[in-house]
Amino acid sequence: MLTMNNINKVYQTDMVQTHALRDFNLQVEEGEFIAVTGPSGSGKTTFLNIAGMLETFTNGQYLLDGVDVGSLNDNQRADLRNQKIGFIFQGFNLIPDLNLFENIEVPLRYRGIKATERKRRVMERLEQVGLASRAKHLPQQLSGGQQQRVAIARALAGEPRFLLADEPTGNLDSLMARQVMELLEQINRDGATIVMVTHDPELARRAPRNIQVVDGQLADFTLYQGNPAVAVGA
Amino acid sequence: MSELKPILNALRRSKVGAILLLLQIAITTAVVSNSAFIISEKMTYLNQATGFVEKDIFTFQMMHFGNDVNYMRQAELDESTLREIPGVIDAVIVNAVPLSGGGSSSTYRLQPTGQKSKGLNASIFEADSHFLNSVGVQLVEGRNFTDSEVVVSNDYAQYPTVGIITQALSEELFPDGDALGNTIYRGDNPVKIIGITDVMKGPWLKLDRRDWSVIVPFVMADKLTQFIVRTQPGERAQVMQQVEQHMLSSNRQRVVENIRGFEDLKAEYVSPDKLTMRMLMVMIVVLVLITALGIFGLTLFNINKRTKQIGTRRALGARKSDIVRYFLIENSVISTFGLVTGSVLAVLMAQQLMKHYSLAQLPLPFIITTAVSVLVISLLAVIGPAKRAANISPSIATRTI
Repeated sequence: MLTMNNINKVYQTDMVQTHALRDFNLQVEEGEFIAVTGPSGSGKTTFLNIAGMLETFTNGQYLLDGVDVGSLNDNQRADLRNQKIGFIFQGFNLIPDLNLFENIEVPLRYRGIKATERKRRVMERLEQVGLASRAKHLPQQLSGGQQQRVAIARALAGEPRFLLADEPTGNLDSLMARQVMELLEQINRDGATIVMVTHDPELARRAPRNIQVVDGQLADFTLYQGNPAVAVGA
Repeated sequence: MSELKPILNALRRSKVGAILLLLQIAITTAVVSNSAFIISEKMTYLNQATGFVEKDIFTFQMMHFGNDVNYMRQAELDESTLREIPGVIDAVIVNAVPLSGGGSSSTYRLQPTGQKSKGLNASIFEADSHFLNSVGVQLVEGRNFTDSEVVVSNDYAQYPTVGIITQALSEELFPDGDALGNTIYRGDNPVKIIGITDVMKGPWLKLDRRDWSVIVPFVMADKLTQFIVRTQPGERAQVMQQVEQHMLSSNRQRVVENIRGFEDLKAEYVSPDKLTMRMLMVMIVVLVLITALGIFGLTLFNINKRTKQIGTRRALGARKSDIVRYFLIENSVISTFGLVTGSVLAVLMAQQLMKHYSLAQLPLPFIITTAVSVLVISLLAVIGPAKRAANISPSIATRTI
């Protein structure tokens, strides 16, 4: 599903060269649920951005579903993002001037899906996250947990095979965080591959596979539920 | 991909900025279309054909201060002196100078006083048969005055009963084209029309009667006399320099003043209109610039406010062109509402201008052209900021800003 070979990302300013990712290697299989942890500034977000094609890498090879991402231009990356990837952001990133329906519709519009089909998919997703009755509400009329559920519905609307979640529960209290996590687990069980960046060790522990990014490099652990001590080095 | 509906919805939900921009566009459209119309009217007015070869004609005044002058005899002497100056085609004494803003006028009717008939206020030129040649205007019908028809006198009781009128006046008074040989009346005094001239403007370019003139073969000289002199092409400057010397050679108890070329007379007469026109042009440029800057600024502000949203849209699959299109559509929506409001305002404004400043009705093409121009300028103003927005990295979606 996702293969990164020797990915490097260097941020260059006039004075400083920063290696955000160094010879980063990762293989993610279809249907996996991976938690990415690591200290602040370790390169987690850079990894997520590159995985989601939100930014380019300096060198290396990245294959997403067999497509060599490095050879794509900006428009092709945008199209591939739209088709293959669903994003869930820490701050939800809902568009405040659009109601829930319109928010979820955004990626479908960029894909050029017809109105009736869009409506069907949006309502289906709203029902999935339990907010169908609030389709006409604006994001600010919802609680944080509800907003994140809308964001998840938006990420799922395009039926992506790959979900990238950036601290999806970072702005939520523990009850709401648990609900969102349960929703993600359900989505994973339904077949989507999920890569989730998180600070929360408890949340990470719930993912079948954990990887840790330290100084732009990867330490890979597979955690087995109920037995967190067992870890296999990458 | 059509984003019109969500854009409309989004605009409805956060309207303040949009309404301010809409008002700016509306006011610009209303003011610019009316100003453009006024400018066009002024241009037509300024560029109207006068019927004169302005650069070959000049005028001057003679003020006598001696008491023992026979003005009539002096006038005839002066005319013949002037006509003999090398380079002069013809010269004439006249009661009023075309394009000068000063002269006399009266109402001419189809019937004498007491009988109801059509009448028009026309300018009156009193001069001998040299008048038409001195101003370079042709007859289109009829004939010039004969010497016997010309009355040289201070006595209005001997006022002539024949006249030459302009074609415009003949068409107004005699729509059937039978002016020649007919008689018109100034009060009870008849004027038989013996000739009709080509285009010839009167003293007042601004007034309705600018094209309606009556030339009467009456010469009355007094302390102050006015002359019109026409020269060969290219000779005018030289003749203008010599004219004072020639005039004073026969009588030094007088002064020659106001030696002016015809185009200078016209320029002076129309100078307030030229000033108004320039001010309106400056106003249009300033207004359009302010509007363009307003749109530019508001779009930039919107982009800064929506950086994260733009990044998110990019993350969700928007191409750069989608982002540019979004801002163009948003701007077009606001502009369209602004232009419709502006067009209505333009009509209302034009009605008030018609009422208070006797302006003609604002023609629709002025509103349409202005609206299209404002729309184009507004779209041009938004392209730069929109492209900037399109260059916002999608990675901004995952950053805390």
